[in-house]
Amino acid sequence: MTGLQRVTLARVAEPGRADPLQARKLDLLSLSISAGEVEDKNVEQWRTLAEFSLSSEPGNERSASEQVTWAVKDLKLGLHRLERLKTAVAEATMNAMEHGNKYRPDLPVFVRVLISESESALSVQITDRGGDQPIPDPEMPDLSAKLAGQQTPRGWGLFLIEKMVDEMHVTSEKEHHTIELILHLKGAEHAGQTA
Amino acid sequence: MPVKPLEIKLRHQPGFVIIDLHGDIDGFAEQALNAAYAEAEGREPGTILLNFKDVPYINSTGIALIVGLLARARKSHRRLFVYGLSEHYAEIFQITRLADFMSVFSDEDSALTGVRTAAL
Repeated sequence: MTGLQRVTLARVAEPGRADPLQARKLDLLSLSISAGEVEDKNVEQWRTLAEFSLSSEPGNERSASEQVTWAVKDLKLGLHRLERLKTAVAEATMNAMEHGNKYRPDLPVFVRVLISESESALSVQITDRGGDQPIPDPEMPDLSAKLAGQQTPRGWGLFLIEKMVDEMHVTSEKEHHTIELILHLKGAEHAGQTA
Repeated sequence: MPVKPLEIKLRHQPGFVIIDLHGDIDGFAEQALNAAYAEAEGREPGTILLNFKDVPYINSTGIALIVGLLARARKSHRRLFVYGLSEHYAEIFQITRLADFMSVFSDEDSALTGVRTAAL
């Protein structure tokens, strides 16, 4: 099990957590846990549905989105939820290729699709090689300012990702950034978004 | 879903122009979209309509391109209407607040009714 997976397990096992800042605290906490300690009964196991990599070339985000769609086909997410997931995956992959890997084809983007043992959550982790550059927190883009020419028309990616999934977590290591997208598959949040 | 490069057709009508979009609105669409818009506004219409009925994919770069068109329309005091968005992309237009700055219609008939109403 990788360090990243341990982080994910600890976060998802925390009941009632929604605050990203709290999640980041848990990141740091769980990173300090040794492999033996991870065998906590409250920590849920995860199963890998798919793992693949893509070269950082414009347009490859569509391939990431399609491969994730294929990986989750048996989960019966519902069209609305699936469309949201596809957009989030495509945007996160684009972000990784453009900002993390600077669209260098020799630098791949890694995608991992995981489902929790209880099938209560789906995680899609998208990793690039831009670990030395910070990923800014998503902000509500100011459309009025964009229309007035005071802001670039771009800058929608992270904002859209955050709106499309139940949770978005960004982690950075020495060389890598990972954006993790979480969909809750059970409970009110899921029921409210599958129509 | 295979990649579908954008192709565009224009329909000029008295007072308005319909831009029929066929394909993906992403970074690859920039040149075609801007050229089509420039051609549409060349006839000085009061309203330009973007028909998204055959647009399967819009990404954040595509959203930025639409923001650019909207900025151009507002600068020249021209109405920009859109119709034919899928439910998912209609939601994205709401989330990004594009729907607050342009009139969004479900289909061409309702959009044309909107054009006629706006011209009154």
